[in-house]
Amino acid sequence: MENTCANSTQLENERIATLTPGNQAGVRVVRRHHLLVRCSHWLNVPILLSLILSGVSIYWASPVYQHKPDPQTGSFDPLADIGVWICAHVPGLHQYSSPPDWVYNHISLGPGMLAAALRLHWLCAYLFMLNGLVFIIGLVMGGGWRSLLPRRTDLHDATRMFWYYIGVPFAKLTRRVWLHPRFNTKYNALQRLAYFSVPVAALLSILTGWAIHKPMQLHWLTATFGGYDKARIWHFWLMFVFILFVVPHVVLVLADGWDTLRSMIVGWSTRADRSADFSQ
Amino acid sequence: MNLEDEHTAPEADDTSSTEPVSPQKPASFFQEQPPEVMEVAPQLLRRWTRRDLLLFGAGAIAAVAVAGSLLPQTTLKRLGIIQGNKNWPKKEWLLNRALRIDDDVAEALYSRNRLVPTYTKSQITPLKNNYNGATPNPNYIPEWRLTLDGLASGLSVSLNIRNLLASFRVHEQITRLVCVEGWSAIAWWAGVRFDDLLRAYPPISQAKWARIESSVNLGPWGNPDPYFMSLDLSTARHPQTLLATHLNGKPLTVEHGAPLRLLVPVKLGLKNVKAITRITYTAEEPKDYWAERGYSYYDGI
Repeated sequence: MENTCANSTQLENERIATLTPGNQAGVRVVRRHHLLVRCSHWLNVPILLSLILSGVSIYWASPVYQHKPDPQTGSFDPLADIGVWICAHVPGLHQYSSPPDWVYNHISLGPGMLAAALRLHWLCAYLFMLNGLVFIIGLVMGGGWRSLLPRRTDLHDATRMFWYYIGVPFAKLTRRVWLHPRFNTKYNALQRLAYFSVPVAALLSILTGWAIHKPMQLHWLTATFGGYDKARIWHFWLMFVFILFVVPHVVLVLADGWDTLRSMIVGWSTRADRSADFSQ
Repeated sequence: MNLEDEHTAPEADDTSSTEPVSPQKPASFFQEQPPEVMEVAPQLLRRWTRRDLLLFGAGAIAAVAVAGSLLPQTTLKRLGIIQGNKNWPKKEWLLNRALRIDDDVAEALYSRNRLVPTYTKSQITPLKNNYNGATPNPNYIPEWRLTLDGLASGLSVSLNIRNLLASFRVHEQITRLVCVEGWSAIAWWAGVRFDDLLRAYPPISQAKWARIESSVNLGPWGNPDPYFMSLDLSTARHPQTLLATHLNGKPLTVEHGAPLRLLVPVKLGLKNVKAITRITYTAEEPKDYWAERGYSYYDGI
């Protein structure tokens, strides 16, 4: 593997320099993520968070999903209704000043912030596209793209991994042996499925974003998503792909331990042979 | 995978060659390659890790600070992060810069020869009046006149609706109007081409912009709420940019900007000024009602 990481030869020289004289016991590490992939990974945290917060604020200006105005609250927006319900049923929130705004006050920049939200959304959308380029360059330079490609057996293996993850907490509680499915690739099939789908969702978010941002100049793009109103719905639901990915992603990384989290910061892992971890 | 072989091979060769041993060629270009394994001294590893984690921590703090400060003041106040008016001066500059870049992209995408999609009468959807002010008193309509300023002749021209309809050909189109809020409506419009008006009354040669205003607009309490908007002349010359007089086959109602409104489907709805009373051609970009309120300037879609 031609590793083009700038300090690769330097690392190699340092390794030889430190290993040959003392002949100390070395630690075996394995390269995991290219520097550019790591940078783009962490930059996605503030960028995606800002895109979601500002995106929900933009949605507030004209909700896609509307019903007949409620005679009591005047609300026509299911998200506002959820806020009303939360304020009525959650202890401590009964005194909340504007229940229809509860959801928007907590998962967006706030209601009535369309201009501010659009500015932030455009800024972060351009940063998100640039960051996507950084990610792709990192994948190509580090050769990591090969580990993300789906395999023929992935659907079957991903199902096994899914049931493994579901079963882990119960196995721990009942102190039963619960074997991790074996694999000898960088990622297991479920990870691969997730890490492949998220860039695809990002690409679709960018395309649907352009489709609703420039529905006249790029009307051919808008038409591929079924027209302006349908492209808005696509763009809205693609947001949930990121949310549905991030939650288990963070939970599983924390559960997997420090080495996995550290590898996204420093680029290498001390778990050199993954299949050995799960052979017992 | 032959992790073991790969790991032992370079150690054996250590003295003879400093070149890292390249792993075996994979069977296919698309096939995952075995990971690159290396052996490092524990102290060195600890030093790298410490350095990388410190750098990461510094980067994370910087990212949180920058991203947090970009949030609107209202949001930060609601979250209790700031009290009172604390605005970072560069923040507005940065967000404005992003807005201008997006405007430049929109301008680069625009072409006078690219027509917007048109629809059939069966695809027409209801069009709401999105102005939350008072509907103007229709008394202005009989005395309504359109004033043109900044003309090459140096004169000021005043036209009434009959002059306009008599001097120019009426065009019809069924196009989509897209609001900055996200909703859209397909409507059947008729009116004269802005381009024809520009040919009949040419602007000063340096003119690049038109300031389009409505002085009859009334605010939520019936107060005068003059509306003014900037339009680049390239967009004004687009064949689908109309000075509309009819909506869905009937003369415009007061809610939709009687007797003459701008219909510019390549721009957001907020550029489609209702009840236009004056058009002024200028060399410099004129002020814009919504740009003053934090929205973008060009608004090309």
